[in-house]
Amino acid sequence: MSSNEPKPNLGDAKNLHKTSVSNEVVIRFDHVTKTYNLYKNDKARFLGIFNIRKEGMFLGSVNASDDLSFEIRKGEAVAFLGRNGAGKSTALKMVTGVTHPTEGTVEVRGRVSALLELTAGFDKQLTGRENIALRGQILGLMREEIKEIEPKVIDFAELGVYIDQPMRTYSSGMKARLGFAFAVAIDPEILVVDEALSVGDRAFQRKCIARIREIMMDENVTVLFVTHASATAKEFCSRGLVLDHGKCVYDSTIEDATAYYEKNY
Amino acid sequence: MGALNTILKDNWEWRKQISRLAVFELVKKSRGAVLSWAWFFVKPAMYIFCFWFALDIGLRVGSGAADASAPPYILWLCAGLIPWFFMQDMLGAGIDVMHRYPYLVNKIKFPLSAISTIYVSATMLVQLMLMVALFAIYAACGMQFDVYLLQVPILLVLMFVFWDLVSILFSHLSAISKDVKNLMNAMSTPFFWLSGVIFDVKSVPLDWVQGIMAFNPITFFVTSFRGAFYDKTWFWNDPMLCGGFVVVFVITLALAVLVYKKLNEEVADVL
Repeated sequence: MSSNEPKPNLGDAKNLHKTSVSNEVVIRFDHVTKTYNLYKNDKARFLGIFNIRKEGMFLGSVNASDDLSFEIRKGEAVAFLGRNGAGKSTALKMVTGVTHPTEGTVEVRGRVSALLELTAGFDKQLTGRENIALRGQILGLMREEIKEIEPKVIDFAELGVYIDQPMRTYSSGMKARLGFAFAVAIDPEILVVDEALSVGDRAFQRKCIARIREIMMDENVTVLFVTHASATAKEFCSRGLVLDHGKCVYDSTIEDATAYYEKNY
Repeated sequence: MGALNTILKDNWEWRKQISRLAVFELVKKSRGAVLSWAWFFVKPAMYIFCFWFALDIGLRVGSGAADASAPPYILWLCAGLIPWFFMQDMLGAGIDVMHRYPYLVNKIKFPLSAISTIYVSATMLVQLMLMVALFAIYAACGMQFDVYLLQVPILLVLMFVFWDLVSILFSHLSAISKDVKNLMNAMSTPFFWLSGVIFDVKSVPLDWVQGIMAFNPITFFVTSFRGAFYDKTWFWNDPMLCGGFVVVFVITLALAVLVYKKLNEEVADVL
């Protein structure tokens, strides 16, 4: 840990948390609403997009995020707690920029690396090595940067000779390992983790958790963490947001948030 | 106007990624074949051979009918078929690029209009290789290199921009509904046979057919490339064809911008 500030000596998991958080806001949700319109079938959806709504074809709309407002400062590690369908993943997707809010604004500053669906987004025809290059290029890394992270990724993923084989020959565990290795190798400024820690066998899981902890200890990295396991949340995060039906119902320290979550849900 | 600005800005800012992904697209296509890169030429070559054999040897509509001083029929055929190969690709996979790169749509932040540009660029690279072959055929036919050939780069740029717009327009629609892809697949054959790829539209004796064809961009490109390589005419000297293309271009641009504005943020949710 590079911080020079005195660490709180509480003798529990607390001293694993970050101690310094700057005042710079890196993620700001300003009255964000994300509405999904539901239609009876694809035809109705197609017409609905052009504002042609036939009786009985439009089934209503769901607000996955409902007037959601919060700010996350640089260096914070925030856990998103909530039941299935509470809007956690939708919120994280908006942070990564692949979905757009229906109303309100989402501001994100910094390079986002997401551990959302680790096996997705690889090209099956290309080799593991080529996929590393491809992903790096999509993120706009320089050739030298890709050269630099490539051995790190290969080493971390433990793929051995398979790295030069087409990805279609990989097992799902190998794909997930490569996905994880890439996401943590690019030195993200904002790391989004969506229950991705159950990757590979136990030994690899331990390695993943160690690596995530290492990233989280870097005070410049902001971490957003989705989990149902309060213990994991407490271990990694310093702040907790409880979401329910797209609304933020509780926002406090991780201890209070997990206590609230366990009591109410 | 704002949407058009966004499209241009995105494509400019992501130009590096676009060009690298375009190369990857070709690498992927040639993967898994021993002859890899040769296949980019084999299919067009077979196509050209079949039409040359059927039309020139079989039906004898080619050099057998023309006067002896005219350039060889094979050149006329190639000058139309080679641009058609580009347009055929664009009408096939090019109008449904979102399903080709789903991970760029909803896994990674990537401007959707740039996905079209990736595919157009990859197809254009193949087209450029075929153009080199066309120039070789041109030289082999004993033709002189003249100023009319300067139209070729202009036409290639026009083709790139126009089909990129078409791709943006239809890819957004086909991401929402499969109808678009099915419609375009069904239209591929009529587009080939009715657009004058293997006959001269100007020789059709019906005025109304020529009037309609003026609004067919495929006819415009095929006729213009033939003008440069074979007939030795300037494409802007044909006001009807040029005017028709300008109208179609403007309509396509307007529709692409409109559809982009309406659908761009929806696509990631429905794909």
